Amino acid sequence: MTTLIQVNQVAKDFGTVPVFQDISFEVCPGRHLALLGPSGCGKSTLLRLVTGLDVPSAGDIRIEGELASSAKKILIEPHERKIGMVFQELALWPNLSALDNVLLGMARTSQPHRERRTTAREVLKICRLDGLENRVPAALSVGQQQRVALARALALRPKLLLLDEPFTGLDLTLKAEIFKEIRRLARDFDLTLLLVTHDPLEARGLTSEALVLEKGGCCEQGNLEDLLANPVSATLRAFVANLSRAPET
Amino acid sequence: MGIAAGLLLAAAPVIVAALALSGGGESAQSSGFLDTGFGPAVLRSLKVAAGVWFVAVLVGLPAGLFPALYSIPLRRTLLGLVALPLLVPSFLWAVGLSMLRMALGLPADNILGGFSGTVLAFSATAVPLVTLATYVAGRRITQGEADAARLAGGERHLIFCVARSVFPMAVVAGLLGSILTLSDPGPGQILRFGGAASHILVSFAAQYDFALATRQSLSLAVIVLVLAVPAAIWLSPRMASGLLARQTKSVALSERSTLAWIGLVLLAGIIGMTSVLPLAGLLQPLGNGVPVVRALVTVGRTLGDTVLLASIAGVVGTGLGFSLALCAGRRRRWQIVLLGGALVLFALPPALSSLGAIHLAAIAPPTLDSLTRGQFTVGTIEALRLFPLGAVLAMRAFGTGSPDWTAAAAVHGVPLGKYFLRVLVPWVLPTAGITVVLIALLATADVTTALLLSPPGGGSLPLAIFTIMANAPEALVGALCLLYVGGAGILLAGVSGILRRQERKRP
Repeated sequence: MTTLIQVNQVAKDFGTVPVFQDISFEVCPGRHLALLGPSGCGKSTLLRLVTGLDVPSAGDIRIEGELASSAKKILIEPHERKIGMVFQELALWPNLSALDNVLLGMARTSQPHRERRTTAREVLKICRLDGLENRVPAALSVGQQQRVALARALALRPKLLLLDEPFTGLDLTLKAEIFKEIRRLARDFDLTLLLVTHDPLEARGLTSEALVLEKGGCCEQGNLEDLLANPVSATLRAFVANLSRAPET
Repeated sequence: MGIAAGLLLAAAPVIVAALALSGGGESAQSSGFLDTGFGPAVLRSLKVAAGVWFVAVLVGLPAGLFPALYSIPLRRTLLGLVALPLLVPSFLWAVGLSMLRMALGLPADNILGGFSGTVLAFSATAVPLVTLATYVAGRRITQGEADAARLAGGERHLIFCVARSVFPMAVVAGLLGSILTLSDPGPGQILRFGGAASHILVSFAAQYDFALATRQSLSLAVIVLVLAVPAAIWLSPRMASGLLARQTKSVALSERSTLAWIGLVLLAGIIGMTSVLPLAGLLQPLGNGVPVVRALVTVGRTLGDTVLLASIAGVVGTGLGFSLALCAGRRRRWQIVLLGGALVLFALPPALSSLGAIHLAAIAPPTLDSLTRGQFTVGTIEALRLFPLGAVLAMRAFGTGSPDWTAAAAVHGVPLGKYFLRVLVPWVLPTAGITVVLIALLATADVTTALLLSPPGGGSLPLAIFTIMANAPEALVGALCLLYVGGAGILLAGVSGILRRQERKRP
């Protein structure tokens, strides 16, 4: 089985400010991974390195075995990495309708325009947005906007879907509904998820494996349930402590 | 690199003027130019600038603070009316005050003339500048901050806290307003308190002494820079932070009726002081009949040049400002460099750029006359002076977008041109339209540049008013001034309409 992503001893700094160093992990097909850690630990920065939006200061990143980024070099452009991404604030282009958002996201695909339109409509339908294709993001509910962002990412038929804390600020019901949707889409599209979150509960809802970033490095990684059974990082220890304090029902 | 090139381009006429002076062209008077009465004139200008700064902060700060916190009836309309004098030549207000003084039979050294009259005429632009800057700064107070202040000490404490927070912005806006008075000859000349800018105009336009005028302009520029550079250094980083979109919600407007009424009275007072008073003066001579035909003939004669000048200045200034803002992007360091440079260039006397352009026209081959003389030159020089407005508005427009839009485009491989045309241009287009209108209005409002550069027989409507006002019947001058103010008002209402629609559309 080819590894989808291989991150080898990656470090990142902004000038004299180090963000993290010596991070290594792999993402294998079908094994959803969560990048956990407190705010400001560099989770989103690590995700930007994986997408190729930013360059690592040291180490290298391979996509399906091919060298994509090495120290201070981008070898494979972001759009050539076959990665879908849902951004923290969704990053929907505000003046374009849901359909146009998906279509513009497919600008580099080799399909003829008519086929591309059909694909975009199909993806929107799969994401349960049929009938809402012509609405601009501001005219959609938060949940519908999440789905447009998902549809735009899925239209490229990626093997890996990166989720950069897209559930921040959502209520529990909506979050549960979107989790269910993402699990279904992951199954239908044969997707592997790489989720960035500070909330182990969110990670539990979508992924089976986790890597915890803390104090500028990787604190622990492995099967999420195993990690929770024996937490080492402050993030997971706090989570487990809170769980044990919850009243029994 | 792009920013440095853009700023250099904008400063080019000023550099040319300085080089022309250093390269010779000494006049009989220019070696002892302080003896020509320029020194006392500079002192008069500084006195007026200090007076304007004091009045602007004293009146503008409370007037901007209350509408930022309280639900004032007709708030938007009143704020729009407050902004009107910013887009009208300051000398029109001086003409209005002068006519009012004469109608009331008051002597020339009355409150509506001399030093106080000049301060009042200049306050028509400086007070709205401070009011609007304070209002914008006040709207940046978050609901949480306001609630915390209210809990700590009630409504009075909130007002005190917000006043303290917006005070530096009001002071700097007042300083900018007062710096601009140093370069404006109109009100001082009309209200008999002529300053340095009037002297420069006389040196070139009446005495035809290029070297003397340039030397005086450079001296004035040094004074302006002494004031403008510290202000730019202080203001630029703050503006760069302020131009970015914020996730926090602005404080909700409170319904407290007494405080809202105080705000209403303050705004109405400003409109009365800056607009109604001079407009009453302009209306007064029309009581004996309106010279409609003569006014329309003058408007018709100058309309082509006015529109041409305004269009060139608006389009070129907006293009340059938006291009430079695009070059700066979201890099804070470059934003600060651009803002600092733009503020300093904006504060420089417009006469200096005009004199540089005149020198260029003199040394350029005659085949380039169509480019170096006429309305094209006036429009371009105005654009180079007013591009900072475009840069600031563009940075604000780009700043309200999400940086993730570009990241999403990169992940999806959206070609740059397509991203630019489909996402970025539609996003900033309303702001660009507003900027074109504002720069066009401000360009036509500046008579110094038009007076120095317009070819004989040509010129904009304000320039025509400025040149005929000493000899033409008062009724004609009043009618022409009112026509210009009316036109500016209509354009301002259009801008306000676009802004409202844009606000409703924003996600």
